[in-house]
Amino acid sequence: MKDFFKNGGRQWPEFILAAAFFVLNVILALTLPYYSAHSRYYDSGAYVVVLSAAFVTYTLYLLAAKKKSTSDIAVLLFGFFLLWELSFKLGLVHNDLLIPSPEGLFHVYVEKPKEILADVWGSLRLLFWGFLTAAVFGTVLGLLAGWVPRIREVLLPVSKVITLIPPLMFSAYLIMLLSTFRQAAIAVIFFAVFWPTFQGTVSRVGQIDPSIIEAARTMGVGTVGMLFKVIFPYCMPGIIQSISGSLRGAFMCLSGAEMLGINLGIGYFIEKYKSFADYRCVLAGIVVVGFVTTLIDILVSRVKKSLIHWTY
Amino acid sequence: MTTAEPKIAIRNVSFDYVSEKKAFPALQNVSLEIREGEFICLLGASGCGKSTLLSLLNGLQRPRSGEITLNGKPIKGPGIDRAVVFQQYSLFPWLTVKGNVLFGIRQSGKKYSRKEREDLANRYVEQVGLTAAADRYPSQLSGGMKQRVAVARALALESEVLLLDEPFGAIDPKLRLELQELVSRLCVEHRRTVVFVTHDLDEAILLADRIVVMAPGRIRNTLPVSLPHPRVREELIRTEEYEKLHRQLIMAFYDQVEETIDAGVAL
Repeated sequence: MKDFFKNGGRQWPEFILAAAFFVLNVILALTLPYYSAHSRYYDSGAYVVVLSAAFVTYTLYLLAAKKKSTSDIAVLLFGFFLLWELSFKLGLVHNDLLIPSPEGLFHVYVEKPKEILADVWGSLRLLFWGFLTAAVFGTVLGLLAGWVPRIREVLLPVSKVITLIPPLMFSAYLIMLLSTFRQAAIAVIFFAVFWPTFQGTVSRVGQIDPSIIEAARTMGVGTVGMLFKVIFPYCMPGIIQSISGSLRGAFMCLSGAEMLGINLGIGYFIEKYKSFADYRCVLAGIVVVGFVTTLIDILVSRVKKSLIHWTY
Repeated sequence: MTTAEPKIAIRNVSFDYVSEKKAFPALQNVSLEIREGEFICLLGASGCGKSTLLSLLNGLQRPRSGEITLNGKPIKGPGIDRAVVFQQYSLFPWLTVKGNVLFGIRQSGKKYSRKEREDLANRYVEQVGLTAAADRYPSQLSGGMKQRVAVARALALESEVLLLDEPFGAIDPKLRLELQELVSRLCVEHRRTVVFVTHDLDEAILLADRIVVMAPGRIRNTLPVSLPHPRVREELIRTEEYEKLHRQLIMAFYDQVEETIDAGVAL
């Protein structure tokens, strides 16, 4: 708590402003009715809970922050929510079909929690299998190609051509080739992650310090041992970097892959409510995607740090 | 008096560096015998072939002609019977100080239990004075500390022969003195046969039982150093033997430098 006050006083005014926006927003959500009769009224409970959760997280973050940090982003965020709320409560938006009210948007999570959870879980499973197989195969093949020139001279040019084709382009053919839409979706994610991982691994093996290899050879490390005991650990940082870098591509392909025709997944959720013209649910789905991908991103960078701690 | 079998025998060895069209002779008909437990310093200016000779000894290069034997058997490639310390440290960046030493212990092929390995690693780390830094990674170490780890890792292999290629070339003079004494002490303690490449006269006198002065491509002469081990630098520099050796080496060295220059002009 002491640190919070000590933080140069810099974040104080911003914190107060953000807090004021938050409190005003909650009061508005709980009391004032909509001005426009064309907007459907939703119970504001879910919205208030989300807003409060955001504010508590922000406050805890500030208290835990070691560095002097500004709160501009919190001011903007809570300001945005307040404006959104106000535009409904003051009647600036007359129809909530295209622009849902904040209460309406977050109410989706109360209406269909099971559906959303099932879809998120479905997406994560697709992502997991595609990502895992691609990371393993990409690394193994990349190490081999990096170490054996003959394999490299075949695979590297091929990979350079194929990576230029967006993996989603394969989807039409993959659906025909593989027995289920699910497998096709996994395959698309696989290709989005496999080639970057492969190329990253190959180039990292190429950059290996020859004196390290020589030292290992003088210590009696043989060809196979070299690959696993020396080259793999040496290349770990590069491999992890390219794998985590291709995560973004995997997310993109995931949503695309889910539109291939499988009936589960958050991409499918968005696609479905788009065709019902229920943009409230579409937006709610997009928010979930943002939330989940951010969580995965944080998780991956944590794992990254613990796996290659010697570079930090 | 000649001892029965030399530990290492280099017989009429020649080696060329081959570029696209030309071959540059690096060693021509070099012969040398090294006794068991002997500390040899290969001394010479840059480009005289001393590092080349060492890379033939460690097996990373093969001679064009001639033969090198260890315990009577020809050297066919790198092996754990010869441990190497490189000038550029060549530590494994993903392993800690202790991890690097443990790698050496594992490669030694000796059957140790997990506990024995740990104890042994701790001992080697202690011997090079790095106990406090045992859990640090190479990127967090200074040059001198890195080279200590490299020495500990090489000792951990428990090879009979230790080959060092200008190990202290990149280390500042004060630290170099410390490391020289460390290596001198450890090699006597562990009874290793050592070949140490250097271009530093004092280093050679401090460490060697025999100094092999190299001229471009060949051995110019060898000087035995009969000073007793362990040698302490401050005492050493006051002895007559030291002054004599120093003089001889300077003479040999200057001739050789001139030769190198002549060769350069001739090319």
